[in-house]
Amino acid sequence: MEDNTKTKITITLPTNAYFMSGIRDFTLNMIKNTTNFEEKWAFRFQSVVDELCNNAIEYGSSPGSEIRITFMYAKDDYLEIDVEDTGTGKNRMKAAELQKLFDERREPAYQFTGIRGRGLVKIIGEWSDEIKFEDRAEGGLRVSVKKFLKDPRFKSGLPQKAETIVLNS
Amino acid sequence: MTEVTILVENINPTLKVAHISGQLDESNVDEKIQGIYKALENAPKGLSMIFDMQGLDYMNSKSIGYLTDLYGKITELGGKVAICSAKPNILDILQVVGLTQLMQNYESIDAAKAAMPTATTPVVEPAPVAQPATTPVVEPAPVAQPATTPVVEPAPVAQPATTPVVEPAPAPVTPADPSQVTSDGAYKFES
Repeated sequence: MEDNTKTKITITLPTNAYFMSGIRDFTLNMIKNTTNFEEKWAFRFQSVVDELCNNAIEYGSSPGSEIRITFMYAKDDYLEIDVEDTGTGKNRMKAAELQKLFDERREPAYQFTGIRGRGLVKIIGEWSDEIKFEDRAEGGLRVSVKKFLKDPRFKSGLPQKAETIVLNS
Repeated sequence: MTEVTILVENINPTLKVAHISGQLDESNVDEKIQGIYKALENAPKGLSMIFDMQGLDYMNSKSIGYLTDLYGKITELGGKVAICSAKPNILDILQVVGLTQLMQNYESIDAAKAAMPTATTPVVEPAPVAQPATTPVVEPAPVAQPATTPVVEPAPVAQPATTPVVEPAPAPVTPADPSQVTSDGAYKFES
């Protein structure tokens, strides 16, 4: 019964990068302490959340507005993170535009040349099993990412699977 | 603004170490990274840089963008770039964006310094290379005297000892290239 329990936490914060340090701390501790993901994934999701929020702050919500982050953890199953903006930002995009951008940058031949632009594909895309872009009825965007804990269809978050890399050598 | 400190240390004329500690994020990176760009202004050819990340707890994608840009600027001038003492989470993010393919990570700052082209006391070594070029010009005079006093020779030997002091500036550029080649060959880190 407990296995089906879902924990949902929603945080609303002003459109200001100043608050992101606290959100990163929260993300790290929440994943470490309340999920079965190993520590490496706590750090990875710290980055994923930070990148999602930075995009929402920079493009989706105007200064003085807000963004909303929702963490949903289904025990022993998955972690989902949604970030919503209000669509009031001057650089706002529609879901289809962002999806197109994501797909283009995901092409192996795509060259990242500037300072910006790596976060969505290289960090959020690489460290998620699913990513979804939606237009909100109220205006703005919702970007949802999901990471499964065990699902064999996806890259596992479990410790025994060394799918990623050499951290120290 | 999130706390971050960047201190650039001059190890020698062609090697700098940027000590970065704290968290590099959207709230501070644009401003704080300028310290490194400033240190590169008027940099000599072949200037190398080590990013000491021992105290770095977090870096976002924009910081990585800047790091990539700095890498381009430094290597364009013939320098080398390395990272040292990065924590596992920092290495992980550098790896996922592909930066560890460009910059090698060393476990300690000493190891990184040792791998740099100019770190192994290069300031002394280029000088002897430059000497032969200048000394022959001086030697013709003593050559005329050898029959009488070969003892005179120490005098011209003493002269070149002073000239190399002028040379060091251009000299490191030449030996920098061959040593870069060898250290590049040692890029066995990537797997």
